[in-house]
Amino acid sequence: MKNVSVKERLKDKDIQALALYIGTIAILIILSVVCKLLGKNFLTVGNIQNIINQSAVIAVIAIGQSIVILTGGIDLSVSSVVGFVGILGGLLIKGGMPIPLVCILLMIVGLALGIFNGVFVSYGKVPAFIVTLGSMQIIRGLTMVLNSGKPISGFPQGLRTITNAKLLGMPVSIIYLFLLYAIMITVMKKTRLGRWIYAIGGNANAAKLAGVRTKKIELYAYAIGGLFAAIGGIFLLSRLAYADPNAGMGYELDAIAAVVIGGIALSGGKGNIGNTLIGALILGMLKCGLQIMNVPVYYQTIIIGVTIIAAVFLDKAKERKAE
Amino acid sequence: MVKKILSLLIVCVLVFSLVGCGTSEKKVEDASGTDVKDVTDTTKELTIGFIPMTMNNEYFITMVNGAKQKAKELGIKLDVQAADQHASAAAQLTIIENMITSGVDGICIVPSSSEGLATALEKCKEAGVPVINLDTIINQAVLDEVGLEVPFYGTNNYEGAKAAGEYVVANFEAGIETIILTGIEGQQNAADRRNGFFDAAGKHVHVVAEQSANWEVDQGYTATQNMLSANPNIQLIFASNDGMAIGALRAVEEANQKDTIKIIGFDAVSEALNLVEAGDFLGTVAQYPAEMGILGVENMVKVINGETVKQSIDTGTKLITIDNVAEHKEYSSKFAD
Repeated sequence: MKNVSVKERLKDKDIQALALYIGTIAILIILSVVCKLLGKNFLTVGNIQNIINQSAVIAVIAIGQSIVILTGGIDLSVSSVVGFVGILGGLLIKGGMPIPLVCILLMIVGLALGIFNGVFVSYGKVPAFIVTLGSMQIIRGLTMVLNSGKPISGFPQGLRTITNAKLLGMPVSIIYLFLLYAIMITVMKKTRLGRWIYAIGGNANAAKLAGVRTKKIELYAYAIGGLFAAIGGIFLLSRLAYADPNAGMGYELDAIAAVVIGGIALSGGKGNIGNTLIGALILGMLKCGLQIMNVPVYYQTIIIGVTIIAAVFLDKAKERKAE
Repeated sequence: MVKKILSLLIVCVLVFSLVGCGTSEKKVEDASGTDVKDVTDTTKELTIGFIPMTMNNEYFITMVNGAKQKAKELGIKLDVQAADQHASAAAQLTIIENMITSGVDGICIVPSSSEGLATALEKCKEAGVPVINLDTIINQAVLDEVGLEVPFYGTNNYEGAKAAGEYVVANFEAGIETIILTGIEGQQNAADRRNGFFDAAGKHVHVVAEQSANWEVDQGYTATQNMLSANPNIQLIFASNDGMAIGALRAVEEANQKDTIKIIGFDAVSEALNLVEAGDFLGTVAQYPAEMGILGVENMVKVINGETVKQSIDTGTKLITIDNVAEHKEYSSKFAD
C-alpha cells in the first residue's frame, strides 16, 4: 500500500516538473524567436547574464521564502528586510567598516529578524501572515528611523565588486546564486532538517507524533527566511551601489510568485526548491523579453499576471484529473 | 527520463551561454556587421529609450505624449518603459540594462531618485549610450562619480511654489491661518515645493500646521480633516500636489467650509484644471511635462548626430487661476490621449 502511494507521488512530482521545464523552454523559444524577428538580441551571452543578474535578488529571497512556505507558512517581511539591510549596511560602510565584515553582520541581522518572526509564529501561535505583516511594517519603520528616511549613495568601488567581479567570464553574483541553491537543495534533500521541514508542511501533527520538534524546526525555517532576505538585500545594495529606504517594496510578492511558479504548494509540504530558481528566472526572462520587445508597459504586467496563474493552473492539472 | 533530458538541456543552454566563448559571439557580430550596415544606411531609424518615473500618473503620461509626438515628427522610434507600481532605482537599472541590450541609441530618463542611478549611468557610459535627464535632477555627485555629463531639462519646483506664495501675498490679507500639505519626507521636490511656498508667503500668512500626506489623495483628505478640527479658522490650504489638494477639498466640503477656505494645488493635472474652472480650487501650479518630453527627444537626436546641446533648460512653471485656466486647458489638450 504504502509503496504504491510513494510511487504515485513521485510520478506526480515528475509530471509537475516536466510541465515546468516544458513551459520554461516554450517561453524561452517564443521570446527568442519574436526578438529575432524584431531584430533584437535576446539570447546573447551578455543578456542572459543580465537576466540572471536581474533575477538574482528575487531568486535569493525566494530560497528562504520556499523553505518558509514548505512549512506551510509565509514571510511577508522579506521586502522590509531588504530595505533595512541596505540602509544599515550603507551606514556601516560609510562609517568605515570593512565590506566583508559588514556583509557578515548583515546576515546575522537577517537571521535575527527571521528569528523574531519565527518565535511569534512557532511558540507564540500567531498566524505567519499576521506576524510577518506586522514585522514588515516594523522593519520598514526602523529602516526609515535609521537614516531619517533618506537614501545613501557615493559608496567605494569595492561594494560593487563583491557581486560584480568577473570569474570564469561571468559576474560572481551568478556563481553565488547557483552555489546558494546547490547548498539549500542538498540541505533539503540530504539532511534531517530538510526532511523535517517537508514533514511539518505535510502534516504538522503527524510530524510531532513522529518525534519532530516542530516548533524548533519552524523557528529555523523563519530564521533561514530572514537570512536569505538579508543576502538578497546585500546583492541589491551591491548591484545598485545605492541604499534606498524604500528598497525591496513588493519583493515579497515577486518571491512568492517565483516559489509558486516553481511548483511549491502554498499549503506547504510539497515541491522542489531547485525549481524555485527556474520560477524566478522565468519571471526575470519574461520581464526582460517583454521590455526588449518593447511591449507597452501596461500589457507587461497583464502578461506576467497571466503567467503566474497559468503556471499554477498547469501544475494542478494532475490534481484536477484525480478529482 | 524525459525530465532529466530536459533539465539537462536547460542547464546546457545556460552554461553554454554563460561561459560560452565570448570570442565566437563577437565574430558573429563582426561577420554580420557589414550586412547590417548596408541595411541601416538606407533605412537608418533611430530608437530613443524613454523612461518616465511611472506610467500610472497623468503627469508622466503627458510627458510621454509630448515625447511621442516629437518622435513621430522627427521620424524616429520611441521605446517607452517604466517600472510597474514601484518606481525604484533597482527597476530603472533593469530597464536601462534591457534597453542597452535592445540597442537604443540614447536614453531620456526621469530618475526615481536623485542619487540612485550610479550603476545604471556607468552601464550607459560603457555602452556609449548618451543620456538626457528630465524632470528630477540627478545629483552632481553621482555624475562626477561616474564621470558623465548629462543635460537636464526640467522645472524648478522651488520657483513654482514661490510663484504660488507670491500670489498669496498679493491677494490675501496678512496673518490668515494657513496649512501646508507636503509630499514624501526626504524627497527633494517635496522639500523644494514646501520651501518655495514658505519662503515667499511664510512671513505674510500664519502657518498653523504642516503635515506630510505622501502625495496621496486619501492621506490629504484625512490630514486635512485632522488639521481642520484642530484649527477651525483656517482660510488657506497649500497642497504640494493636486492629489492631496483634491483630498483636502473633500475634507473642506464635508466641514462646510468651502466658502471660507481657499485651496492651491500643484501640477495642474486635468482634474485640478476643472476644479479651478469650477471655482473649487483657487489655483494650481502648472509645470510643462510635455515640453520636457519634447526637448528630451529633440535634443537626444542632436546628441546622437554629434551636435552640441544646452546643458540645462528650465521648462518653466506658471500659476493657473480662473483668469488663465481656459488657455492652459487648450494647451494641455494637445498632449492628452
